[in-house]
Amino acid sequence: MLEQRSFWRSAEYALFTFALPIALLLLIGSTTATGDLPGTRVAGQMIFVPSIIAFGVIVAAYVNLGAKLATLRHDGVLKRIRTTPLPAGAYLSGVLGSTAATTLAITASIMAIGAFAFHAVPRAGGLPELAGGLALGVLCFGALGLALSAVAGSAESAAPIANASYLPLAIMSGIFDPTFPVPHWLSAAVGVFPVRALAQILQQSYTPVAHAPLTDLLVLLAWTAAGCGFAAWRFKWH
Amino acid sequence: MSTAIEVGALTMSYAERHVLKGVDFEVKSGEVFCLLGPNGAGKTTTVEILEGFRQRTGGTVTVLGMDPQAQPVRLRERIGIVLQECGFPRQARVAELIDSWRAYYRKPRALADLLSVVELTEDRNVQVRRLSGGQRRRLDLALALAGDPDLIFLDEPTTGFDPESRRRCWAAIENLRALGKTILLTTHYLDEAERLADRVAILQGGRIQVAGSVRHVARQAGVKTKIKFAAPERVRDGSVAPPSCLGVVVSGEVAVCQTENSATALRELLGWAAANNLGDLDDLSVETPTLEDAYLHLVTGGLN
Repeated sequence: MLEQRSFWRSAEYALFTFALPIALLLLIGSTTATGDLPGTRVAGQMIFVPSIIAFGVIVAAYVNLGAKLATLRHDGVLKRIRTTPLPAGAYLSGVLGSTAATTLAITASIMAIGAFAFHAVPRAGGLPELAGGLALGVLCFGALGLALSAVAGSAESAAPIANASYLPLAIMSGIFDPTFPVPHWLSAAVGVFPVRALAQILQQSYTPVAHAPLTDLLVLLAWTAAGCGFAAWRFKWH
Repeated sequence: MSTAIEVGALTMSYAERHVLKGVDFEVKSGEVFCLLGPNGAGKTTTVEILEGFRQRTGGTVTVLGMDPQAQPVRLRERIGIVLQECGFPRQARVAELIDSWRAYYRKPRALADLLSVVELTEDRNVQVRRLSGGQRRRLDLALALAGDPDLIFLDEPTTGFDPESRRRCWAAIENLRALGKTILLTTHYLDEAERLADRVAILQGGRIQVAGSVRHVARQAGVKTKIKFAAPERVRDGSVAPPSCLGVVVSGEVAVCQTENSATALRELLGWAAANNLGDLDDLSVETPTLEDAYLHLVTGGLN
């Protein structure tokens, strides 16, 4: 598939999408995230590794996809696609499929490193959360990536907008440090967004933690719907 | 010969602005048809309606037997569109890009065929961003041909090209004509239209002003054939009067007469020269009206 080959040939995308989560995984995983979580006998990495998986999903599906579509639009490639008999939905599904494949590859790398370097493996019976979280995560952040590409006025502004929107949320959500102290009201505010929701669902697949999986699921579904709705309203081919 | 495109009483309005006020023309299968007209005349709107990208306000449109706004996907199986300023994915290589485009069609044309029609066989493994402007345009053409279309829309195919690239692009278009493809061309270059088109139509003020072969259009425009020759000295100093019936105008050293029937005029002119012992008329030339003459005459009302 051309999409995948293009991905690997574009050094910046490949680097950003693959190297960043893995570098953070190794760096933080071997320093801050060592030791048990406060008040528990759960190793910090059991939370941290799935958090980085969530981070990988967000980078691939939201940042990467949003920036890529904005670039394709800027270059007139989307306009050219419209001249073929390929239905719009089929093209966008293909792009989303390619994003899903990239996400799977990143997830596999993170899981392998997590298991090998930090002995963090999913718990027995954690597969539904893992598979469901990944699928819904790609869908939700992919839809938001579509919406992002519609918001970005130019190819250049897409990546900065993406980073500015998810990075603060990722930090506040404790993606990089589960013990990151935030005030109660801020924690509640962050809970409305899909970043922590996805991280918590994936954390469930590694270790049972006291969260509200139903709420997380609803938050993700709501943002998926919002992303799709916005994209349907504003997405342009040229 | 069957008809590829049939347009009848086509109208298009945006709010209060009437862009097309009843456009009629038809394109026969296998011909190169050129739509000409000043900027803002509605060429792009007309073409976008034919391609199924725009919903018309009124009139009838049939393209390859289909109504474009009713069956846009089925129509796009059988047409190829070369738009202006369409880019390529940045990292793609020539052959793999064409191949990925072939996958969008049910009955694609063979890759080797496509590469050779647009003369890119040797560049098949080159990254798209390293291609020259002319090569990129030919790649545009290859992508438009990926589905082996019966009808091809070409929008300004050679704008901004050097003469060599233009000729290669024209050669590619002539290859298509030889394959029996129908081509609808829009261009600003009248020499291009004259060179490539079997028939032209001039769209102005929301209507087709004139349509037909280049010769027909020139005749319709009322542009006359020009006969020029170096004015002999005795004509210049007034001792011999030019033949009055031809309306010869002498300006400086050149004498010009305009006529609708060049053969008769020439016979008369040469007879007059012989009768007055003027010898051979130097630098004698007969200039049949070009499409450009006709176009300027029609579009600017003869201000030239």
